Amino acid sequence: MSEIAAMSFEEAMAALEQVVRDLEQGTVSLDQSITLYERGAALKAHCEALLKAAEERVEKITLGEGGAPTGATTVTGL
Amino acid sequence: MTTAVFTHASALQHLAPPGHAERGARIEAVMQALQAPAFATLARQVAPRAAEAEMLRCHPRRHLARVHAALPRDGWAMLDPDTYVSPLSLDAALHAIGGVNAAVDAVLAGQLHNAFVAMRPPGHHAETERAMGFCLFGTVAIAARRALDHHGLARVAVLDFDVHHGNGTQALLWDEPLAMFVSSHQMPLYPGSGAAAEIGAHGQIINLPLPAGSGGAAMRPLWQAALARVRAFAPELLLVSAGFDAHRADPLAGLNWDAGDYRWLTRAICDLADACCGGRVVSTLEGGYDLSALATSAAAHVAVLMERGR
Repeated sequence: MSEIAAMSFEEAMAALEQVVRDLEQGTVSLDQSITLYERGAALKAHCEALLKAAEERVEKITLGEGGAPTGATTVTGL
Repeated sequence: MTTAVFTHASALQHLAPPGHAERGARIEAVMQALQAPAFATLARQVAPRAAEAEMLRCHPRRHLARVHAALPRDGWAMLDPDTYVSPLSLDAALHAIGGVNAAVDAVLAGQLHNAFVAMRPPGHHAETERAMGFCLFGTVAIAARRALDHHGLARVAVLDFDVHHGNGTQALLWDEPLAMFVSSHQMPLYPGSGAAAEIGAHGQIINLPLPAGSGGAAMRPLWQAALARVRAFAPELLLVSAGFDAHRADPLAGLNWDAGDYRWLTRAICDLADACCGGRVVSTLEGGYDLSALATSAAAHVAVLMERGR
């Protein structure tokens, strides 16, 4: 699945949508269906990881703009 | 009265290329498990060969002709990326249909309390004119139609707990108000159908899609509610498409059932049968591709049928 790790969010979402379409249209063989499902799960996990990373960046920016950070994490270099 | 298992040697003569998941060793594993001392009183019956005309209850003659024409002289021929036929596949499929029909005859005649048919190829993916998903003919749907048309039953129900949606059974019984069909299955997964919104032409179909990774805790309340609806329908016979590929060890799917879940569900099905149709249950093997999980789960299923047949 290293191919997935290198995907951008948009690429991974497009690939995931294709997996869902293939599974729903019944064009996948019974034998391959679970493999395709697993690829879908890996794509979903990759998208979620990218989203989480993006959210964390937004939080840091918010804290930075709000002035003094309150937690133990000091936001520097923003 | 008693419980019987129906099988026939032709189940081992339906061949696919080496490495194919749907293989004769599945039947050998099930029958081996049923040799244990706990099954000493299980009756053993031969699955007879059905007349070819039995298929016409659900399929047009040209579907039969196409399968016939595809049979190779030796080796195997591919009907779709999953589905193969070998020289004796039609014979095996006819014995599978004949086995379920004979089990229904014996149960309706009061000679058996309930029965399990250990045959292959499976049937629940086969549509009106399409062999697919390892399946050639709609074995359980044919038995349902025969119970209505030949035996004159007023209503039957087909309960399908294979991990894949029973699209074929659904298609063949879509417009049959006298046959209720319930299927639980992982979704999304092959064949892609089976959304809860698919309810049949008469609201007589119930689909229970299950998320990947889910186990008995997710399945049990859904089946409980569905079986309550089947009870209200008051079927005179329960047919079961018993696939054991929702087991956590199965290589072709991602649910987390175990033998205890099959035991629970079989008990729930038998409770329903006791309440509405004198305990009449005829169950037939569909999927299940991990030989050890298949053997353990099928044995748990048959053990419950025997408990209820005493």
